[in-house]
Amino acid sequence: MSSQSEFAAATDALAVSVLGALDGTGDAVQLARYVDDASDTLAALAAVRVLGADALSSHLLVGDPFEAQDAAVVAKAFDSFPASDVLEERTVARRDWATAQLLARLAGDDTLRAVAAPPADETELADTVHWQAWCVRMAQLAPLATLGLDGPVHDAARGGALTLSRGMSRSILRRDFPTAVRLIRWLAWLHHDGTPLPLDPALAAEHVSLLGGAGPRAALDLAIAGHFLRRPDTDPKAARA
Amino acid sequence: MTTIPEPVTRAARGMADRALSWLHAHRALGGLPPDTTETMADPDSVYKPLGETTLAASLILRDGVAGPGRLVAARSLMDFTWEQFRGGDMIYERQLRHTLMTDPLEMYAPFYRCGYRHEGLDRLLAHRARMRSVNSVELLPNRRLAAANAARVVGLGHAEDMAALAGATWLGATPEPWAINWITAYAMTHTVFHLTDWGADPDGLPPELAAYVRTWLPVWIDVWREVGQWDLVAELLIVGASLPDPYCAAEDWEAVAALQHEDGLVPRDSDPVDDDPQRRFTDHQHTVVVTAVAGSIALARAAGRR
Repeated sequence: MSSQSEFAAATDALAVSVLGALDGTGDAVQLARYVDDASDTLAALAAVRVLGADALSSHLLVGDPFEAQDAAVVAKAFDSFPASDVLEERTVARRDWATAQLLARLAGDDTLRAVAAPPADETELADTVHWQAWCVRMAQLAPLATLGLDGPVHDAARGGALTLSRGMSRSILRRDFPTAVRLIRWLAWLHHDGTPLPLDPALAAEHVSLLGGAGPRAALDLAIAGHFLRRPDTDPKAARA
Repeated sequence: MTTIPEPVTRAARGMADRALSWLHAHRALGGLPPDTTETMADPDSVYKPLGETTLAASLILRDGVAGPGRLVAARSLMDFTWEQFRGGDMIYERQLRHTLMTDPLEMYAPFYRCGYRHEGLDRLLAHRARMRSVNSVELLPNRRLAAANAARVVGLGHAEDMAALAGATWLGATPEPWAINWITAYAMTHTVFHLTDWGADPDGLPPELAAYVRTWLPVWIDVWREVGQWDLVAELLIVGASLPDPYCAAEDWEAVAALQHEDGLVPRDSDPVDDDPQRRFTDHQHTVVVTAVAGSIALARAAGRR
């Protein structure tokens, strides 16, 4: 029986693979092979499920080929760990929806969008009055800060560039580096999107990578952020789902 | 007219009034030891706090938004500290013996603002202001601003370029807001204090620095509130109230007001407050001073005094 710690280890291992594919130090990620080769198939599927949209990063950002069997593995991960329809898990639902959109786009198969239900409307995302809590929520939604997605969360990010910058600064000052990393990813996405920012996200990314970017998940977030900061020529809107 | 939310003015009123009452009631605990001379071994122990109390009282008198009884108390407090300094003689002697020191000038400025005069010191300061040596002393940039503002208050009017001085400070660099620490935050607050002459001239803060502070102040207040650094939080409240477009969030002001003891004490941090009267005074006098100043400046802004 797979344990939570085995799920976590498998997730970290997959994150390392994606990271290698992104920065060129490793081979292209083949999700089907990753699961087939795993000693613990359920843990490997859990890793695909947990990383979600981030598991597709090398395909989205550096154009690694995405095969039909890879799409099947992602769909199988959703079968093994069904998408939540609990209202309180709106963040998870939003991430699941993002994964489904990207999966369908990469596979060229719109029926795959159905692996996750469309999330409920979230008009409160536009309300940044309680900015600390809003930033925590946006940090949880950081996997949506990628190519090929646009929607209410992205509009909220555009409207909340100052708030995200404040939240990122607050996170660094509180030594909450996991949150800082995820907010930097949003800032990098905004920079790439052409939204003016009140600070330099590249320097913050470098700072956090030195102080708190040790884990594979944080390193992956930073690598994705770095991709947006280095490549002003790529328009995320051009690849919208 | 500047908009300060009503909950802030309510909190500020209580903070300023009770802080002043506490400073006045406990003033004897801050008196100089007998036989103190201008060459004191530890100027930070009593001499500097006396100056801080003087500053608070002088700003309450300057702002003029306290009730009549409070204004009498503020004047009484200044009379007390002036007496401690032997009618200015001690400040004069310290400046006379230590030409390059700036603290006598800074100590005298709030007295001067409120009409206290020492003729010998006036002559000495005017002489000193003409010295290249004095004006070239190597100070931290925010300390140079402190001396420049004190000189401005006592009417020396020498040609310090405040904008150039501001540019040399940490704040002047509009640096990464996430790379600030406790002591640098204090330096930043003092840069704002001196450029705005303690909230009297919000436009003394160059526009780009005002915009920068307005952008990041919510973050800094939040992080130091979280760790209970109340002395620094109160200083940040002064900064917010001193901006051309004030940043005064009700929840921040109400948080500090809620900490204030019935007698007016405001704890400097989240550590327990000692029961010993002298220890209470020594530990928390600065925070009470800052609280009084914050309240007075916010009330003055709310009243449209500037």
